[in-house]
Amino acid sequence: MKGVPPPSIVEVRALKRRIDTGSHTVEILKGLDFTVPTGQFVAIMGASGSGKSTLLGLLAGLDTASEGAIVLDGVDITNLAEDALAQVRGRKIGFVFQSYQLIPTLTAEENVLLPHELAGGDAQGVTRARELLERVGLGARMDHYPVQLSGGEQQRVALARAFMTRPPILMADEPTGNLDTVNGRQILDLLLEMNQREHTTLVLVTHDHELAAYADRIITLRDGLIVSDVMKVAA
Amino acid sequence: MPRLSWKTAAKIAWREGRASSVKFFFVILAVAAGVGALTGVRGFAASFKQLLLKEARTLMAADVSVRQFLLPNAEQQAKLAEFEKQGILRTWITETVTMAATERMPDPLLVSVKAVDPSEYPFYGEVVLKPAGLLAAVLTADQVAVSEDLLLRLQMKLGDTIKVGGIDFRAAAIVEKEPDRMAGSLNVGPRLMMSRAGLERTNLLRFGSRAAQRLLFKLPPEVKGPPDAVNAAKVEKIRLELKSTFPEAMVIDFRETHPLITRGLTRSTTFLSLVSLIALIVGAIGVAMAIHSHVQQRLDSIAIMKCLGANSTQVMRIYLLQTLALGLLGGLLGVLFGALIQAAFPLLIARYFQIAPDFRIDPSSVAQGILIGLLATVLFTAVPLLAVRHIRPILILRRDMSETRLPWRERLRRQWPALLAGVLILLGMAGIAGWLAEGNWRDSARLGLFFVGGLAFSLLLLSGAAWLLLWLLRRFQQHVPFWFPSALRHGIANLYRPGNQAGAVLVALGVGVMFTLTVYLVQQQMIGQLAASAPPGMPNVFLIDIQDSQKDALVKLLKAQQGVTREPEIVPAVAIRLKTVNGKALDQLELKGFERRFLQTRTVTWYDTKPDFVEMVSGNWLAGPNDVLINEDAAKALKAKRGTALQFDAYGRTINVQVVGTFKIEQVRMGSGVEFIFRKDQLAGLPLNYFGGVRVKTSQVAALQRASYRQFPTISVINVADVLDIIQEVVDQIAVVVRFISGFAIVAGIIILASSIAGTRFRRIREVAILKTLGGTRRRIAAIFSVEFLVLGALAGLLGGGLATGFSYLLMSRFFEAELGASLLPVIVAIVGSALIANVAGWLASSRILAQRPLRILRDE
Repeated sequence: MKGVPPPSIVEVRALKRRIDTGSHTVEILKGLDFTVPTGQFVAIMGASGSGKSTLLGLLAGLDTASEGAIVLDGVDITNLAEDALAQVRGRKIGFVFQSYQLIPTLTAEENVLLPHELAGGDAQGVTRARELLERVGLGARMDHYPVQLSGGEQQRVALARAFMTRPPILMADEPTGNLDTVNGRQILDLLLEMNQREHTTLVLVTHDHELAAYADRIITLRDGLIVSDVMKVAA
Repeated sequence: MPRLSWKTAAKIAWREGRASSVKFFFVILAVAAGVGALTGVRGFAASFKQLLLKEARTLMAADVSVRQFLLPNAEQQAKLAEFEKQGILRTWITETVTMAATERMPDPLLVSVKAVDPSEYPFYGEVVLKPAGLLAAVLTADQVAVSEDLLLRLQMKLGDTIKVGGIDFRAAAIVEKEPDRMAGSLNVGPRLMMSRAGLERTNLLRFGSRAAQRLLFKLPPEVKGPPDAVNAAKVEKIRLELKSTFPEAMVIDFRETHPLITRGLTRSTTFLSLVSLIALIVGAIGVAMAIHSHVQQRLDSIAIMKCLGANSTQVMRIYLLQTLALGLLGGLLGVLFGALIQAAFPLLIARYFQIAPDFRIDPSSVAQGILIGLLATVLFTAVPLLAVRHIRPILILRRDMSETRLPWRERLRRQWPALLAGVLILLGMAGIAGWLAEGNWRDSARLGLFFVGGLAFSLLLLSGAAWLLLWLLRRFQQHVPFWFPSALRHGIANLYRPGNQAGAVLVALGVGVMFTLTVYLVQQQMIGQLAASAPPGMPNVFLIDIQDSQKDALVKLLKAQQGVTREPEIVPAVAIRLKTVNGKALDQLELKGFERRFLQTRTVTWYDTKPDFVEMVSGNWLAGPNDVLINEDAAKALKAKRGTALQFDAYGRTINVQVVGTFKIEQVRMGSGVEFIFRKDQLAGLPLNYFGGVRVKTSQVAALQRASYRQFPTISVINVADVLDIIQEVVDQIAVVVRFISGFAIVAGIIILASSIAGTRFRRIREVAILKTLGGTRRRIAAIFSVEFLVLGALAGLLGGGLATGFSYLLMSRFFEAELGASLLPVIVAIVGSALIANVAGWLASSRILAQRPLRILRDE
């Protein structure tokens, strides 16, 4: 008997994104349609200029679509105002970026706490922040500033931060792009482990095939369109 | 509801601030410059006012004083005798001008004479003489005490004989200090003090004299109180009695500050406060620039915070807190500077104010200065703070693609908060300016609006001119041939690199240069204009105190003098008071503003036949015994016409006349301002005298003065050039003070420049690293930066100097109706000076940049 398909946590319909540079118009995304069921690990791949970072930006509510619609965990974010988008981001999305993007003037612990504070959280958050930092192996470096941490360590702080508010969706943009192989491996393992434990839906943008191999599903973009959408065959 | 707590915002603000401490330090200094000038000026004014109150008796040398320009009449004398019976002591001072000369310097000099009764004057304070001695012993009937500069001007020493009003006196001492000098009528120019007996010898004080008369009163002490205590109610009663006895006089008592001094103090405080405000605004612009560049450098942090759920308002908290901290720290440091300025003020004005207030900090001036500093800083920073709204979180992922171009209407709509902020800034500045101005709220509001209007206009003009200059520079740069020295090319190109705030720095520095140079140019031009050529047709030598018996002989002498190019103009004059118009007393006529001059004694004139220069506007010339003519303006003010009955009081005599016509006299003539023409017989028995003017070749003025003095020693012959010297002295002194304060605007501008350069420190360090890697020597790199600083400073000097020339031209032609002579030197000095100062400031702000090792910098990328 066929199982009931899990509900969609991300829905994209006829999504387009154009940029007017003044001299001409560039169509970065030319009409995308797909959904992501809850709990799935999706890798979005494509060459440089394929539109994958643009797609991630739109899905994360960091950018505004020219046409089409995006629904995140039941909320249509297509035409939301910036402050409303900020709220959605704070509640529903965790971020991991290629260049870590920690606040340089906050310690590791304070960086991890930030999303919790922005979501109006209470003092309990401190306990969780410390647990997360322990989990990523930085229990002894909580009061260090980003400038005092190596690249790998900074990305681990960013990981801890991403999971702080238990967001339903995690979005990562080339999370190992700035790291060497050893550190990159560590980060990937941590990411996957925490993803499984926290039951998040993971949307990962990468050009690294090895990284993408871990995903449940690979969506490939070329010239602003989806050219392949492949589910990994269950072992 | 997502929130970035104030605590976290403060934490981020503090840590970010520490990281940018050099840049922020400069900005704090810039704010401190403005607040310092403001608190210094107002603190000094407050303590000076305190001093005026505390030392009121000494400054008046009495408990009560009465001052008028008439000798007391019989009725007034009788009243004074009654006061004596009440135990009120009285002494009399006369102040006038006359001519003085010596054997060695026969060219007579115009001097101020003060005649006192040395046995009683002063009631409070003391006159300090050199050599030290009692005033009563020195000022005998044939001795005088003189000011030091009088000795110099007449090339004499103590013990020599000086001729005053034709009578010989011995100069027995130098007057170093007089307690009531500030309360006197004439306290500029060479001075001479004599006894009343001496004055009588000179015959300067005649019936009808218009010299300043001051009656000083010392009230009897309260029986039960301390020796100096006086009954306040008694003072008030006496004061009211004096006011009714001497209706034309200024009556002051020790409970108030001297109104003339206070008025002067109030006006100068307002003016200097506004000048300080300009300096503060420059500082506030600097804070706005620093916050703007700071926000630009923090784009990533701001974007990530927005990613994580913070909204714009919450992010703005961080930078608002930084702004408040900068404003407050600048204010507090400014208070310290202000204390130094307050201590320096007495030195600046020592020439005219022989007493200085005790140094004390006025808490309300301090609080006001800090508050205004904070307010100005926050207002100006509103615009860069609002820009935080436009930082989009997508910057995290992509910064290179330009955005969708919005239609201009949409762009304008999005800018409305910034436009609103601009309006608030203007209103806020107007409010602050109004608050600093003394006076009723209407006057303050009007002044505030004028100030902000002028400032906004100047800033717009400066910004436009700065933009144009930079654009021209860029165009020049694009067409410059390759062989043009590379240090020059790179240095100039640095001015419009991204993140360089050259435009804003030009405006900040340009404001101070423009203001200071405008004051300087107007001051130079004004005196120069007046001195260079009296308007054609105007006399350049005035003669006063000519008696009826001397008139004909004087005219004969003048005509016979060499260099007299035209007929001398001698105008008859007597001072009488208008009492009623058509039976109605003057105070019932609702006279407003300048019309109220008719409440005082006015100079009237007489002619038996109509002179050519009197033009009849309506009616007929004088015919009947009770006819009088009235000038056009006076007729309008008093609503008088043909048939109006006027009653005058002249030295106790009543004169009733009727208007038969109105007249006007050409502006350039002596006596053109006279308002009534009588017949001579109507004024018989009154103290009639004459004043006049003559046009003489400049080289012959001294000879004319000598000749007139020999024959008529009581007639004062005033060379306009001498008067201008005195005016110049006063104007110079004022200008020094104004330039001192406006200098703070320049200081603030230079600090802004240094701050802006410090703000691009990291970029410069990177540049130095790359240039060194590519083969650049330290010398070459230094040349590039020096060119950048020198050109920036020179442009600011050019901007400020050019606009100053424009403004001073406008002021001179509009208000003084004078032509502006071309004066390039000050502008050149401004350009060169600004360039050099900018270079020094720039290098101070770029310390140790050249010493950085390239590899370390490049590796950190």
